[in-house]
Amino acid sequence: MDSSNDDALDIIITNVVATFRTRCHLNLRTIALEGTNVIYKPEVGKVLMKLRKPKITASIWSSGKIICTGATSEDDAKVGARRLARCLQKLGFKVRFSAFKVVNVLAVCSMPFSIHLVDFTKNNRPIASYEPELHPAATYRIKHLKATIQVFSTGSLTVTGPNVQNVATAVEQVYPLLFECRKPLREKRKVN
Amino acid sequence: MSPKACKNCGSSDVDVDQARGDAVCMGCGSVLEDNIIVSEVEFVESGGGGSLAVGQFVSSEGNKNPVFGEGHHGIGSESRAQTLQRAKQHINTLGRQLQMNQHCLDTAYNFYRMALGKHLTRGRKALHVVAACLYLVCRTEGTPHMLLDFSDVLQVNVYVLGRTFLVLSRELCINASAIDPCLYIPRFAQKLEFGDKNHEVSMTALRLVQRMKRDWMHTGRRPSGLCGAALLVAARMHDFCRTTKEIIKVVKVCESTLRKRLTEFQDTPSGQLTIEEFMRQDLDQECDPPCYTTGLKNKKYQQLEIELEKKMEDFEEEIHCYEDEIDAELQNCRPKLKGVYAAYTKETATEVPEEVGGDAISTPSKMAAATDEEQEEEDELEAVAKHFGKQMSELTLEALIKLEQKTPGEEEEEEEGGSPKRKGPTLESILGRMPTASTLGLPESISKCIGEEKENDGAADSGELDLSGIDDKEIELYLLDDGEVKVKTALWMAENSDYLKQLKEKEAKIAKEKELGIYKERKPRGPSKKHPPIRANTADEAIEKMLEQKKISSKINYDVLKDLNVKPGSSPARQPDTPKREASAVKLTGRNRSSPRAPLSLSTPLSTLGKRLQPFITGLPKKKMAMEQAAAHNPLPVPVGNPDIGVVVESGPVVYDDAAEEEEDEEEETCVSAMELLGSNDYGSDADYDEGF
Repeated sequence: MDSSNDDALDIIITNVVATFRTRCHLNLRTIALEGTNVIYKPEVGKVLMKLRKPKITASIWSSGKIICTGATSEDDAKVGARRLARCLQKLGFKVRFSAFKVVNVLAVCSMPFSIHLVDFTKNNRPIASYEPELHPAATYRIKHLKATIQVFSTGSLTVTGPNVQNVATAVEQVYPLLFECRKPLREKRKVN
Repeated sequence: MSPKACKNCGSSDVDVDQARGDAVCMGCGSVLEDNIIVSEVEFVESGGGGSLAVGQFVSSEGNKNPVFGEGHHGIGSESRAQTLQRAKQHINTLGRQLQMNQHCLDTAYNFYRMALGKHLTRGRKALHVVAACLYLVCRTEGTPHMLLDFSDVLQVNVYVLGRTFLVLSRELCINASAIDPCLYIPRFAQKLEFGDKNHEVSMTALRLVQRMKRDWMHTGRRPSGLCGAALLVAARMHDFCRTTKEIIKVVKVCESTLRKRLTEFQDTPSGQLTIEEFMRQDLDQECDPPCYTTGLKNKKYQQLEIELEKKMEDFEEEIHCYEDEIDAELQNCRPKLKGVYAAYTKETATEVPEEVGGDAISTPSKMAAATDEEQEEEDELEAVAKHFGKQMSELTLEALIKLEQKTPGEEEEEEEGGSPKRKGPTLESILGRMPTASTLGLPESISKCIGEEKENDGAADSGELDLSGIDDKEIELYLLDDGEVKVKTALWMAENSDYLKQLKEKEAKIAKEKELGIYKERKPRGPSKKHPPIRANTADEAIEKMLEQKKISSKINYDVLKDLNVKPGSSPARQPDTPKREASAVKLTGRNRSSPRAPLSLSTPLSTLGKRLQPFITGLPKKKMAMEQAAAHNPLPVPVGNPDIGVVVESGPVVYDDAAEEEEDEEEETCVSAMELLGSNDYGSDADYDEGF
């Protein structure tokens, strides 16, 4: 039963964060003055550059390290990163595309049932923690996957992990635990 | 422990004599153990004939410096004891302010000690950790203290405290039970001053909260909000008119939260009952959580929207049909295009009929997908506008879309001069475009970019950048040309003038200082300096050099050490930071953790020394560790220490060195007393303590 439900669950990736290095020093002022869609923050020491095609925002540091956020898939992130490197090349820097790594993937998923968070936390101490005073969701951390799942009482999940595979595995892992603590749905009430 | 069997003859008849302190085998007569350590209570006769036990009572808290004599305070109390003392003070102050009882405070102190042992206090404000420990106690005991109370007293953001609290509870593996809103009811009820009816109101409020729990109003919500709503209703039920403002002050939630909870409760079936009915019965039916019902509502709205959109599409189809006809008319009436564009018109004549049949909605997407360098003749637009008697700005979106339909035919032609314009991927972006790239005349830009592109391709490219799937022309869009650069430079300079001024001032200052010769290269947090290894012929020289380099600890009288004619196995002073090791980096303190960094002499590596020396050398930091901190990290320094020691003791018979090192060890272990013995009076105590050291 669980596996068939897994197929029906939509895991939507909302954000992929990746880093890479250009292996050369970048002059931020040049980039800031000669590029479109750039924001230069000299106090912090970085340039924000936004690409349109894969919708990506990149933070560029003068050491040549670049962080790309906003992509919707790992491939997208790679394409965007390469585009960015090409753009920097055009500006005249000797760019080498190296050490590309997807660092974080954020996905949302929705369960078809509500969840009783107190029971869920009780069953899964100490992996799960729930502080209603601080945050309305219960946090479930899977150490060996390095994934964190935030469980809301409506049944939506927010999963973060180092790559898409881990995220999917995390959801699969947590599904049976959530299923135990689900709230059986009553008949539909009149919506006021 | 007395051995059970003799090693020589195997007989198990061993005589252990406590008085002499040895164990002798009865079979062969060999002495098996000598100087057995005895732990018995001894008695001494006191004046008047009584007998007293020898020894002192030591506090179970394990003070590192047992108080002896009259009990001076703070005689070189080590930092750990000081930290614990301070923490205790903080806990007591904070606890008293919040009216916590002594038992809770003691438990909190124990938590703090555990946290200290696990190094969770590192990098956190002491007050935060103290508050987190206290809150942990509150949660485990079930007292009605909220994290908000602590943050009120300390004036600290509640989420910061929450973070510390979560880390603490996770590391100490203390599973605090979930907050039950029922716990808070009596506390708030008291504050609201219901007088005699306090108990009844509380009971009613409790029932209300339980009802709310059954109706799934409490998951994911602050418990204080629920309590506030319940208390308000309960008060009204018993004819107390408490306003929302009063409730808010007590419960510490916002007015809108309270109102929301009330409306949610109203929506539940129990909310519809009258007072008497509610008191009498308890409805079995449970509700769905309110967020679920809102979710259902949203779904419905979305469905409605989709339907509306469909209808819109149908209408749009009709409109576009009309537009097609209008456009055909346009073609006939349009003024002739001259010059370069004449070529285009011939092509459009063939291409347009294909495009026209297509669905108008798909063309914007088509064009977005197509190459971005499309050309658009402003002349054309103006002509159209004139024909219709309107101004440029009044052209409707549909008309522009229509015009765009022609331009896909012209996409292929890009290499021309003329006045090609860049266009963003979609029409909407044109209309709402950013000022930078759009409307400036860019006659040279494309040719320049194309020229550059050819150069770049030829130039030595980065070995690793894979260009597949990257459209260079699109990338060029992201670059500005010279004119634009100038404009942007001016703009940017204007905007960031403050920052640039600061930068200039800084540079001027540095230049001035350089001239005056005062300038200090102040690198922002560079890596810690590593001293070159000291090369010396004898250990004495080595010690001197090292001591010149650094004054490491304040608890050692260096002069005396210099006088010692002894070759220590390891550096006498406490070690400063050594280069961090990966695993132990986090856990090492600034002090003495890692290997004895003993660059005393490079003559002999450690391995050539007898095995007997090694335990002394590596044993030293071990002992210090045990002294200072909870021994969680003992295994660490040993493997770390060994490979690092490239230098040590040298000439001289091993036996003497052992003995010397033993002295050395003792001196350093009890460095406090050594200082006393040798007369240094940093701490203002002149008494001379010779007992047992």
